[in-house]
Amino acid sequence: MNLFQLILKQIRQRSLSTVLTVLSIALGVGLAISILVLQRESQNLFGQTEYGYEVLAGVKGSGLQLTVNTVYGIDQSPGNVKYEVYEKLTKDRVFRQDARIVIPQCVGDTYKGRPIVGTIPQFFGYDNDAQRIENVEGEPARRFEYRPGRSFEFEQGTVFREDRFEAVIGSDVPRLAGLKLGDAFQATHGSPTAGAPADVHEEKWKVVGVLKPTRTAADKCVYIGLTSFYTIFEHADAELARDKIRRGENPATRNVRKEEAHDHDHADHDHAGHDHAGHDHADEHNHEHRHAHYTITADGRIKLDQDVLDAREVSAILIKARGGFNALNLINNLNLQPDVMAVSPATVMREFFGNFVKGPSTLLLIIAALVIVVASIGILTTIYNSVAARSHEIAVLRALGATRNRILTLITAEAILLGVIGGAIGFVLGHLLAAAGSAYLERAFGEPIAWTRVSGPELLCLAGTVILAFLAGLVPAIKAYSTPVATNLSGA
Amino acid sequence: MPLLLENLTKHYAAPDGTAMTVLDVPHFELADGEHVALLGGSGTGKTTLLHSIAGIVRPDGGRVIFRSGQGETDVAALPEADRDGFRGQHIGYIFQTHHLLPGFTALENVLLGLTFTGRKADPAWARHLLTEVGLGDRLDYKPAKLSVGQQQRVAVARALANRPKLVLADEPTGALDPQTAQQVLELIRTLCREVNASLILVTHDMNIAGQLERVVRLDELNRRGQAAVGSGQ
Repeated sequence: MNLFQLILKQIRQRSLSTVLTVLSIALGVGLAISILVLQRESQNLFGQTEYGYEVLAGVKGSGLQLTVNTVYGIDQSPGNVKYEVYEKLTKDRVFRQDARIVIPQCVGDTYKGRPIVGTIPQFFGYDNDAQRIENVEGEPARRFEYRPGRSFEFEQGTVFREDRFEAVIGSDVPRLAGLKLGDAFQATHGSPTAGAPADVHEEKWKVVGVLKPTRTAADKCVYIGLTSFYTIFEHADAELARDKIRRGENPATRNVRKEEAHDHDHADHDHAGHDHAGHDHADEHNHEHRHAHYTITADGRIKLDQDVLDAREVSAILIKARGGFNALNLINNLNLQPDVMAVSPATVMREFFGNFVKGPSTLLLIIAALVIVVASIGILTTIYNSVAARSHEIAVLRALGATRNRILTLITAEAILLGVIGGAIGFVLGHLLAAAGSAYLERAFGEPIAWTRVSGPELLCLAGTVILAFLAGLVPAIKAYSTPVATNLSGA
Repeated sequence: MPLLLENLTKHYAAPDGTAMTVLDVPHFELADGEHVALLGGSGTGKTTLLHSIAGIVRPDGGRVIFRSGQGETDVAALPEADRDGFRGQHIGYIFQTHHLLPGFTALENVLLGLTFTGRKADPAWARHLLTEVGLGDRLDYKPAKLSVGQQQRVAVARALANRPKLVLADEPTGALDPQTAQQVLELIRTLCREVNASLILVTHDMNIAGQLERVVRLDELNRRGQAAVGSGQ
C-alpha cells in the first residue's frame, strides 16, 4: 500500500464530508472560472477594436444606444437623422475624402420579433444592379465588411433590389421566424409586447436571399431595401410630420394625394394586404399603381413621392473610413452638423465595458474568490476534524514507522488532492456555465463567445485553489505532525 | 539482531513538578532469535521500556544498542526521523489492544506494516501471514467484523509484515480469554521463528511468561524510583 492509496483510503472513509468539501470548492472555482471566461469574452465581444467600420452616425443623443441598437440589434433606436446626412456623406467632398463606404440603415419594424432593417445592397457587398462588388488586390477593400475581413455571403438566393419589395434574411431567421427563400411576409410596426395587438403593415416583401451564418446579430435580422422601407405608410407619414415640424408647419394637415398619375380609378381600391411581392405589376397591367406615398412603376419599381423623398430619414449610418485619421475627421465633422452625432462604435463599447460591465464582474470575481476561500476553510475544517478524530490512527502509523514528515505529507497531500479534484470539477463546471452564458449572449446579441478557450487567469485561479487547499491542509497537518505517539497509543 | 540496553533511564514530570523516574535499567541483553518474557504488573514501566527500545520515545539516558553484521546502532542516539525509519524496518510492535485501523481490511492493515519501511508492498507475504494466523478466509474483513481474538491475530500478522529482527509485544494476550491467549502466543512465537526474530513479550501472566525461553522480572530489571534526579524532568 503506497502513500497515494493510503490517502484515497482515508478520503473514502469520510466520503460524505469529502464530497461536500469537494463540491464547495468546485462551486467556488466554477463560479470564478465562469466569471473569468465571461469577463474576458464579453470584453472581446463588446470591446472589439474594429467592427468593419470605424464611424457610426445617428441622431444626437446616446452613442451607446446608437451603437448597441445598430451593432447588436438590442434596445430602441435613439431616433433618426435626415437622409441628407447620408447624401452629404456620399456626395460632399469634405466627407467623401474621409469616407470610403457609407451604408444607411433604417430600423423600427419587426417580423415575429426579428428586427427589420432597411438598407442598401452595398451593405451586403453588391451594387445597385445586384452585382457583387469585387475587391482589387493591393487596394483597400471596396466591399463592405461587417467585421474586419468578413463580408456577407449568401447561402441561398441573392441580394434584394433596393427599390423592390424584396428581402434578405439572416441565417437564423428561418429557424426563429419560419421564413424561407420565396416566402412573403408583412412587417409589424415596432416590437409589440406579448398580448398587445400588433400593427401589421399592409406591404408584403418576398424573401430573395438567405445569408450564410456570420455569428453576429445580422444572423437574426430581416433586411429590406431602403426605398421599400419608406413605402410603409406609417413611416412615410411620420417622417412627413417630423419634416413639417422641422419647417415650422402644422403636422396635422395631411398631404392631398394626387391620383392623376394613375390611368384608372383607385378611389375604391383597397390597398390593405396588397401583395406587391406576390405578383408582377408589369405583366398584369403594364401601368403604374398609385399608393399613399409611392407609385409602383410599370416595371415593378418603387417610386417614392417627392414629399416622401424630401422627408426621408435614416436611423444609423455605418461608415468605413479611408484611414484612422479620416475616421477622426469624420467624427469631428459630423458632430458639427446639426442633430447629427458620430461615434466610434469600438470606443463606445470599450467605455461601456469599462464603466458598466467590468465593475460588476470584478465584484462577482471577488465574491467567487471569497467562495473559494470559504471552501478552503471547509477543507481545513474537514481535515482538521478528521485529524482530531484520527489522532490514534496517526499514532499507530507513527508506531509502524511513519515519520512526522510522512504524516505531514499524508495530510497535506490529502488536502491538495481535494483541492485538485474540486478545482478540476470547478474548471469544467465554470466552462459549462460560460457555455450557458454564451448561449444567452448569442440569443441576446447574436454573437456567441469562445467559452472553451482557456486563459492564464483561469490557470492562476486553479493554481491558487490548490495552494489554498495546501495551506488549509497545513494546519491539521501540523497538528498531526505534533501528535504525541506514546500518549495517543496508550490513550486508545 | 542482538539487543543491549545500558543504563537506560527515563523520567517524567510529576504533577508537583518534581521528576519521577519511570525507567532505570542498568543492563539487559537479548540474544539473536531469543524469546524473552518480561514479567510485571501495571506501573512497572513496561510500556515505557518497550517504547524506548522501539524508539517511540527517546530515553533520557543510556544506550539502546542493536548489533548486526554491519555494526552497532544506538537507537537512543538517533534523531526522531531515523528512529521512526529504524522501527519501520527492523521492529515489529504488538499492542495490548490491536490498534487496527477501522477503515482498512485485515489484508490492508497487514500491508500497512510495510508501507513505511521503504520496501515494496508484498501482498503475497501479507496473505501468507494472515493464513498462518488462521484468517486466510477473512482477508477482506474490516476489524469491526472480526472477533477480539481475530483482531489481535491480524495485529500479530501486521507486526511480522516487515520481517522484523525484533518483535516487541506489549501484553498481547492481556485482553484475551486463556484459550485464545494461548493460541495468539503460539502464533507470535511461530511467526517469530519463521522470520528469525527475537521477541520481548511483556506480560503479567506467569503461565504465558513461563512458556518463553527466559523470564525476566521487570521489578528486578527496572530499578525505578531508586534514583533521584533534578526537577522538571
